[in-house]
Amino acid sequence: MVKKTKLANLASKLLGWRMWIQTAFLVVWLDPLGLRLHTMCSPVFHCYACPLSTFACPIGVIAQFSALHIFPFIAVGLLIAVGALFGSLICGWICPFGFLQDLAGKVPTPKFDLPKWTGHLRYVVLIGTVLAVPYFFGEEHPLFVCRVCPAGALEAAAPAMVTQAVTGKQIVWPNALKLTILVLFLVAIFFVKRPWCRILCPLGAIFSLFNRVSAFFLRFNADKCTHCERCHKLCEYGIEPEKTPNDLRCIRCLECTQCSPDALNLGSIFERGQHKGDKPKSR
Amino acid sequence: MNHKIRIIIFCLLILLGVGLLTYGAFFHFADVSPQQESDSTVVAKSEPALIQEVTVGGVKRDESGTIKQTYTGEAPKACPT
Repeated sequence: MVKKTKLANLASKLLGWRMWIQTAFLVVWLDPLGLRLHTMCSPVFHCYACPLSTFACPIGVIAQFSALHIFPFIAVGLLIAVGALFGSLICGWICPFGFLQDLAGKVPTPKFDLPKWTGHLRYVVLIGTVLAVPYFFGEEHPLFVCRVCPAGALEAAAPAMVTQAVTGKQIVWPNALKLTILVLFLVAIFFVKRPWCRILCPLGAIFSLFNRVSAFFLRFNADKCTHCERCHKLCEYGIEPEKTPNDLRCIRCLECTQCSPDALNLGSIFERGQHKGDKPKSR
Repeated sequence: MNHKIRIIIFCLLILLGVGLLTYGAFFHFADVSPQQESDSTVVAKSEPALIQEVTVGGVKRDESGTIKQTYTGEAPKACPT
Protein backbone atom coordinates (compact mmCIF):
# COMPACT_ATOMS: atom_id res chain seq x y z
CA MET A 1 0.00 0.00 0.00
CA VAL A 2 1.49 3.31 -1.05
CA LYS A 3 1.29 6.04 1.60
CA LYS A 4 0.23 9.59 0.88
CA THR A 5 3.06 12.09 0.77
CA LYS A 6 3.33 14.86 3.38
CA LEU A 7 2.27 17.42 0.81
CA ALA A 8 -0.78 15.37 -0.22
CA ASN A 9 -1.73 15.02 3.45
CA LEU A 10 -1.36 18.75 4.00
CA ALA A 11 -3.47 19.48 0.89
CA SER A 12 -6.20 17.12 2.14
CA LYS A 13 -6.26 18.92 5.49
CA LEU A 14 -6.30 22.37 3.90
CA LEU A 15 -9.07 21.47 1.47
CA GLY A 16 -11.77 21.92 4.10
CA TRP A 17 -10.31 25.34 4.87
CA ARG A 18 -10.11 26.57 1.26
CA MET A 19 -12.82 29.18 1.70
CA TRP A 20 -11.12 30.53 4.81
CA ILE A 21 -7.78 30.65 3.01
CA GLN A 22 -9.46 32.60 0.21
CA THR A 23 -10.94 34.94 2.85
CA ALA A 24 -7.53 35.45 4.46
CA PHE A 25 -6.01 36.37 1.10
CA LEU A 26 -8.98 38.63 0.35
CA VAL A 27 -7.96 40.67 3.39
CA VAL A 28 -4.45 40.98 1.92
CA TRP A 29 -5.77 42.22 -1.46
CA LEU A 30 -8.30 44.63 0.11
CA ASP A 31 -5.60 46.84 1.59
CA PRO A 32 -6.79 47.06 5.21
CA LEU A 33 -3.74 49.14 6.15
CA GLY A 34 -4.26 51.63 3.33
CA LEU A 35 -0.81 50.95 1.90
CA ARG A 36 -1.78 51.21 -1.79
CA LEU A 37 1.42 49.60 -3.02
CA HIS A 38 0.62 50.33 -6.65
CA THR A 39 4.23 50.26 -7.75
CA MET A 40 4.00 46.47 -7.60
CA CYS A 41 1.64 43.95 -9.22
CA SER A 42 -0.21 41.19 -7.41
CA PRO A 43 -0.65 37.78 -9.05
CA VAL A 44 -4.45 38.01 -8.83
CA PHE A 45 -7.35 39.63 -10.67
CA HIS A 46 -8.26 42.68 -8.58
CA CYS A 47 -8.77 46.11 -10.15
CA TYR A 48 -6.29 48.79 -9.11
CA ALA A 49 -8.97 51.44 -9.45
CA CYS A 50 -10.85 49.80 -6.59
CA PRO A 51 -10.62 52.03 -3.50
CA LEU A 52 -9.56 48.89 -1.62
CA SER A 53 -6.66 47.43 -3.54
CA THR A 54 -3.22 46.80 -2.15
CA PHE A 55 -1.42 46.06 -5.42
CA ALA A 56 -1.82 46.75 -9.12
CA CYS A 57 -3.71 44.28 -11.34
CA PRO A 58 -1.15 42.52 -13.59
CA ILE A 59 -3.57 42.33 -16.52
CA GLY A 60 -4.36 46.05 -16.34
CA VAL A 61 -0.63 46.83 -16.15
CA ILE A 62 0.23 44.58 -19.12
CA ALA A 63 -2.57 46.16 -21.19
CA GLN A 64 -1.56 49.72 -20.25
CA PHE A 65 2.10 48.99 -21.00
CA SER A 66 1.07 47.46 -24.31
CA ALA A 67 -0.69 50.73 -25.13
CA LEU A 68 2.50 52.61 -24.22
CA HIS A 69 4.59 50.18 -26.35
CA ILE A 70 6.76 49.32 -23.33
CA PHE A 71 7.52 45.76 -22.26
CA PRO A 72 6.12 45.16 -18.73
CA PHE A 73 9.11 43.34 -17.21
CA ILE A 74 7.77 43.36 -13.65
CA ALA A 75 4.28 42.07 -14.46
CA VAL A 76 5.51 39.40 -16.88
CA GLY A 77 8.38 38.34 -14.60
CA LEU A 78 6.01 38.04 -11.65
CA LEU A 79 3.48 35.97 -13.61
CA ILE A 80 6.19 33.62 -14.95
CA ALA A 81 7.70 33.08 -11.49
CA VAL A 82 4.35 32.61 -9.73
CA GLY A 83 3.00 30.50 -12.60
CA ALA A 84 6.07 28.26 -12.55
CA LEU A 85 5.60 27.70 -8.84
CA PHE A 86 1.84 27.37 -8.47
CA GLY A 87 0.14 27.34 -11.88
CA SER A 88 -3.62 27.59 -11.48
CA LEU A 89 -3.48 27.04 -7.70
CA ILE A 90 -3.59 30.86 -7.63
CA CYS A 91 -7.04 30.80 -9.27
CA GLY A 92 -8.48 28.17 -6.97
CA TRP A 93 -7.05 29.35 -3.68
CA ILE A 94 -6.15 33.03 -3.55
CA CYS A 95 -7.84 35.02 -6.35
CA PRO A 96 -10.51 37.37 -4.90
CA PHE A 97 -12.54 37.45 -8.11
CA GLY A 98 -12.63 33.66 -8.18
CA PHE A 99 -13.65 33.69 -4.52
CA LEU A 100 -16.57 36.01 -5.28
CA GLN A 101 -17.77 33.55 -7.93
CA ASP A 102 -17.29 30.62 -5.53
CA LEU A 103 -19.51 32.38 -2.99
CA ALA A 104 -22.20 33.12 -5.59
CA GLY A 105 -21.94 29.50 -6.74
CA LYS A 106 -23.05 28.38 -3.26
CA VAL A 107 -26.53 29.86 -3.86
CA PRO A 108 -28.82 26.90 -4.59
CA THR A 109 -29.81 27.69 -8.17
CA PRO A 110 -29.80 25.33 -11.16
CA LYS A 111 -26.24 25.11 -12.49
CA PHE A 112 -25.43 24.77 -16.17
CA ASP A 113 -22.29 23.32 -17.68
CA LEU A 114 -20.29 24.96 -20.42
CA PRO A 115 -19.06 23.45 -23.69
CA LYS A 116 -15.35 22.59 -23.57
CA TRP A 117 -14.43 24.96 -26.39
CA THR A 118 -15.47 28.01 -24.35
CA GLY A 119 -12.27 27.59 -22.32
CA HIS A 120 -10.27 28.71 -25.37
CA LEU A 121 -12.01 32.11 -25.40
CA ARG A 122 -9.71 33.15 -22.54
CA TYR A 123 -6.76 33.12 -24.92
CA VAL A 124 -8.73 35.23 -27.41
CA VAL A 125 -9.39 37.76 -24.62
CA LEU A 126 -5.72 37.70 -23.60
CA ILE A 127 -4.34 38.18 -27.09
CA GLY A 128 -7.11 40.49 -28.28
CA THR A 129 -8.10 42.86 -25.49
CA VAL A 130 -4.95 42.74 -23.36
CA LEU A 131 -2.21 42.72 -26.01
CA ALA A 132 -3.37 43.49 -29.58
CA VAL A 133 -6.10 46.12 -29.09
CA PRO A 134 -4.03 48.24 -26.65
CA TYR A 135 -0.90 47.94 -28.81
CA PHE A 136 -2.54 48.88 -32.12
CA PHE A 137 -5.37 51.18 -31.00
CA GLY A 138 -4.34 52.51 -27.58
CA GLU A 139 -6.18 52.56 -24.29
CA GLU A 140 -9.13 54.57 -25.56
CA HIS A 141 -10.44 51.77 -27.77
CA PRO A 142 -13.80 50.40 -26.47
CA LEU A 143 -12.39 46.85 -26.44
CA PHE A 144 -9.40 47.74 -24.27
CA VAL A 145 -9.57 45.18 -21.44
CA CYS A 146 -10.15 47.66 -18.60
CA ARG A 147 -13.06 49.22 -20.51
CA VAL A 148 -14.96 45.91 -20.60
CA CYS A 149 -13.69 44.25 -17.42
CA PRO A 150 -16.46 43.23 -14.98
CA ALA A 151 -13.97 43.32 -12.08
CA GLY A 152 -13.30 46.98 -12.84
CA ALA A 153 -17.03 47.70 -13.11
CA LEU A 154 -17.83 45.92 -9.86
CA GLU A 155 -14.82 46.92 -7.76
CA ALA A 156 -14.10 50.40 -9.08
CA ALA A 157 -16.96 51.90 -11.11
CA ALA A 158 -19.75 50.77 -8.76
CA PRO A 159 -18.14 52.15 -5.55
CA ALA A 160 -17.28 55.37 -7.41
CA MET A 161 -20.91 55.76 -8.54
CA VAL A 162 -22.18 55.13 -5.00
CA THR A 163 -19.75 57.74 -3.66
CA GLN A 164 -20.88 60.22 -6.33
CA ALA A 165 -24.53 59.58 -5.45
CA VAL A 166 -23.95 59.93 -1.71
CA THR A 167 -21.92 63.11 -2.04
CA GLY A 168 -24.45 64.64 -4.46
CA LYS A 169 -22.02 64.80 -7.38
CA GLN A 170 -22.99 63.98 -10.95
CA ILE A 171 -22.90 60.20 -11.45
CA VAL A 172 -20.46 59.07 -14.12
CA TRP A 173 -21.79 55.84 -15.64
CA PRO A 174 -19.50 53.24 -17.18
CA ASN A 175 -19.95 52.66 -20.92
CA ALA A 176 -22.87 50.50 -22.14
CA LEU A 177 -20.67 47.52 -23.06
CA LYS A 178 -19.06 47.42 -19.63
CA LEU A 179 -22.46 47.66 -17.93
CA THR A 180 -23.86 44.87 -20.13
CA ILE A 181 -20.91 42.61 -19.35
CA LEU A 182 -21.26 43.37 -15.63
CA VAL A 183 -24.99 42.52 -15.65
CA LEU A 184 -24.36 39.32 -17.64
CA PHE A 185 -21.57 38.40 -15.22
CA LEU A 186 -23.72 39.04 -12.14
CA VAL A 187 -26.46 36.81 -13.56
CA ALA A 188 -24.09 34.12 -14.81
CA ILE A 189 -22.27 33.59 -11.49
CA PHE A 190 -25.47 32.18 -9.99
CA PHE A 191 -26.05 29.67 -12.77
CA VAL A 192 -22.57 28.66 -13.95
CA LYS A 193 -19.61 27.77 -11.75
CA ARG A 194 -16.92 30.43 -12.12
CA PRO A 195 -18.06 31.73 -15.53
CA TRP A 196 -15.45 34.50 -15.72
CA CYS A 197 -12.54 32.21 -14.81
CA ARG A 198 -13.60 29.53 -17.26
CA ILE A 199 -14.60 31.58 -20.27
CA LEU A 200 -12.91 34.95 -20.26
CA CYS A 201 -10.22 35.43 -17.59
CA PRO A 202 -6.94 36.44 -19.28
CA LEU A 203 -4.97 35.91 -16.06
CA GLY A 204 -6.35 32.39 -15.71
CA ALA A 205 -5.35 31.82 -19.33
CA ILE A 206 -1.75 32.72 -18.46
CA PHE A 207 -1.60 30.55 -15.32
CA SER A 208 -3.24 27.61 -17.09
CA LEU A 209 -0.29 27.48 -19.49
CA PHE A 210 1.92 26.60 -16.50
CA ASN A 211 -0.29 23.73 -15.27
CA ARG A 212 1.80 21.13 -17.09
CA VAL A 213 5.15 22.35 -15.80
CA SER A 214 4.47 24.06 -12.46
CA ALA A 215 6.24 22.95 -9.28
CA PHE A 216 2.92 21.95 -7.73
CA PHE A 217 0.73 19.76 -9.90
CA LEU A 218 -2.04 17.20 -9.74
CA ARG A 219 -0.61 13.68 -9.61
CA PHE A 220 -2.60 10.71 -10.87
CA ASN A 221 -1.76 7.25 -9.56
CA ALA A 222 -3.11 4.81 -12.16
CA ASP A 223 -2.56 1.80 -9.86
CA LYS A 224 -4.95 3.17 -7.27
CA CYS A 225 -7.66 4.25 -9.70
CA THR A 226 -10.73 2.03 -9.60
CA HIS A 227 -12.41 3.85 -12.51
CA CYS A 228 -15.34 4.71 -10.25
CA GLU A 229 -15.46 8.15 -11.93
CA ARG A 230 -16.16 9.84 -8.60
CA CYS A 231 -13.60 12.47 -9.57
CA HIS A 232 -15.83 13.42 -12.52
CA LYS A 233 -18.63 14.20 -10.09
CA LEU A 234 -16.31 16.02 -7.67
CA CYS A 235 -14.98 18.27 -10.43
CA GLU A 236 -17.35 21.19 -10.93
CA TYR A 237 -15.66 22.30 -14.13
CA GLY A 238 -16.43 19.37 -16.39
CA ILE A 239 -12.88 17.98 -16.41
CA GLU A 240 -12.09 14.28 -16.25
CA PRO A 241 -9.15 14.52 -13.83
CA GLU A 242 -7.95 10.94 -14.27
CA LYS A 243 -7.55 11.54 -18.00
CA THR A 244 -6.14 15.07 -17.90
CA PRO A 245 -5.03 15.86 -14.32
CA ASN A 246 -3.23 19.01 -15.45
CA ASP A 247 -5.90 20.19 -17.84
CA LEU A 248 -5.67 23.81 -19.01
CA ARG A 249 -9.20 24.42 -17.69
CA CYS A 250 -8.36 23.16 -14.18
CA ILE A 251 -8.33 25.86 -11.46
CA ARG A 252 -6.70 23.47 -8.96
CA CYS A 253 -9.48 23.64 -6.38
CA LEU A 254 -8.26 20.09 -5.50
CA GLU A 255 -11.82 18.86 -4.88
CA CYS A 256 -11.05 15.80 -7.04
CA THR A 257 -8.36 14.74 -4.55
CA GLN A 258 -11.22 13.66 -2.25
CA CYS A 259 -11.73 10.54 -4.36
CA SER A 260 -11.70 7.63 -1.93
CA PRO A 261 -8.90 5.46 -3.38
CA ASP A 262 -6.51 8.47 -3.25
CA ALA A 263 -5.66 8.12 -6.91
CA LEU A 264 -5.43 11.90 -7.31
CA ASN A 265 -3.13 13.95 -5.10
CA LEU A 266 -1.30 17.22 -5.02
CA GLY A 267 2.27 16.51 -6.08
CA SER A 268 5.37 18.65 -6.28
CA ILE A 269 8.73 18.50 -7.97
CA PHE A 270 10.33 19.05 -4.56
CA GLU A 271 9.36 15.56 -3.40
CA ARG A 272 12.26 13.17 -3.76
CA GLY A 273 11.45 10.55 -6.37
CA GLN A 274 8.01 9.11 -7.01
CA HIS A 275 6.14 6.30 -5.40
CA LYS A 276 6.03 2.94 -7.02
CA GLY A 277 3.11 2.87 -9.41
CA ASP A 278 2.94 6.64 -9.72
CA LYS A 279 2.19 7.65 -13.24
CA PRO A 280 1.86 11.39 -13.31
CA LYS A 281 0.05 12.48 -16.44
CA SER A 282 0.82 15.86 -17.89
CA ARG A 283 -1.77 16.23 -20.59
CA MET B 1 6.57 14.27 -18.05
CA ASN B 2 9.91 13.08 -16.74
CA HIS B 3 10.70 14.35 -13.21
CA LYS B 4 14.13 15.70 -14.21
CA ILE B 5 12.77 17.56 -17.21
CA ARG B 6 10.11 19.05 -15.00
CA ILE B 7 12.74 20.29 -12.54
CA ILE B 8 14.84 21.77 -15.36
CA ILE B 9 11.85 23.58 -16.89
CA PHE B 10 10.84 24.85 -13.45
CA CYS B 11 14.34 26.19 -12.72
CA LEU B 12 14.54 27.89 -16.13
CA LEU B 13 11.14 29.52 -15.65
CA ILE B 14 11.99 30.72 -12.16
CA LEU B 15 15.29 32.16 -13.39
CA LEU B 16 13.52 33.88 -16.27
CA GLY B 17 10.76 35.24 -14.02
CA VAL B 18 13.09 36.51 -11.32
CA GLY B 19 15.46 37.92 -13.96
CA LEU B 20 12.67 39.90 -15.65
CA LEU B 21 11.31 41.03 -12.30
CA THR B 22 14.73 42.25 -11.14
CA TYR B 23 15.48 43.99 -14.42
CA GLY B 24 12.11 45.71 -14.38
CA ALA B 25 12.34 46.74 -10.76
CA PHE B 26 15.87 48.14 -10.80
CA PHE B 27 17.16 48.75 -14.32
CA HIS B 28 14.26 49.57 -16.63
CA PHE B 29 13.38 53.21 -17.24
CA ALA B 30 11.23 55.04 -19.76
CA ASP B 31 11.26 58.67 -20.80
CA VAL B 32 8.12 60.59 -19.88
CA SER B 33 7.43 64.07 -21.26
CA PRO B 34 5.47 66.63 -19.25
CA GLN B 35 1.88 67.50 -20.17
CA GLN B 36 2.64 71.07 -21.20
CA GLU B 37 4.11 71.48 -24.68
CA SER B 38 6.18 74.47 -23.51
CA ASP B 39 8.01 72.37 -20.93
CA SER B 40 10.71 70.27 -22.57
CA THR B 41 11.96 68.52 -19.42
CA VAL B 42 11.88 64.77 -20.06
CA VAL B 43 11.90 62.60 -16.94
CA ALA B 44 13.22 59.01 -16.90
CA LYS B 45 10.75 57.04 -14.82
CA SER B 46 11.48 53.63 -13.37
CA GLU B 47 9.11 50.77 -14.12
CA PRO B 48 7.59 50.71 -10.60
CA ALA B 49 6.89 54.45 -10.96
CA LEU B 50 5.35 53.83 -14.39
CA ILE B 51 3.13 51.09 -12.96
CA GLN B 52 1.90 53.57 -10.37
CA GLU B 53 1.26 56.12 -13.12
CA VAL B 54 -0.74 53.73 -15.32
CA THR B 55 -2.93 52.71 -12.38
CA VAL B 56 -4.28 56.27 -12.27
CA GLY B 57 -4.17 56.92 -16.02
CA GLY B 58 -1.23 59.25 -15.47
CA VAL B 59 0.63 58.56 -18.71
CA LYS B 60 -0.39 58.21 -22.36
CA ARG B 61 1.34 57.57 -25.66
CA ASP B 62 0.67 60.31 -28.17
CA GLU B 63 0.59 60.01 -31.98
CA SER B 64 4.30 60.76 -32.29
CA GLY B 65 5.10 57.83 -29.98
CA THR B 66 6.11 60.01 -27.04
CA ILE B 67 4.95 58.98 -23.60
CA LYS B 68 3.32 61.97 -21.99
CA GLN B 69 2.10 62.75 -18.51
CA THR B 70 -1.67 63.41 -18.54
CA TYR B 71 -1.67 65.82 -15.61
CA THR B 72 0.31 68.65 -14.06
CA GLY B 73 0.72 68.84 -10.31
CA GLU B 74 -1.29 66.39 -8.21
CA ALA B 75 -1.85 62.92 -9.72
CA PRO B 76 -5.42 61.71 -10.44
CA LYS B 77 -6.90 59.48 -7.73
CA ALA B 78 -8.08 56.60 -9.91
CA CYS B 79 -7.86 55.21 -13.41
CA PRO B 80 -10.43 56.84 -15.75
CA THR B 81 -11.29 53.56 -17.52
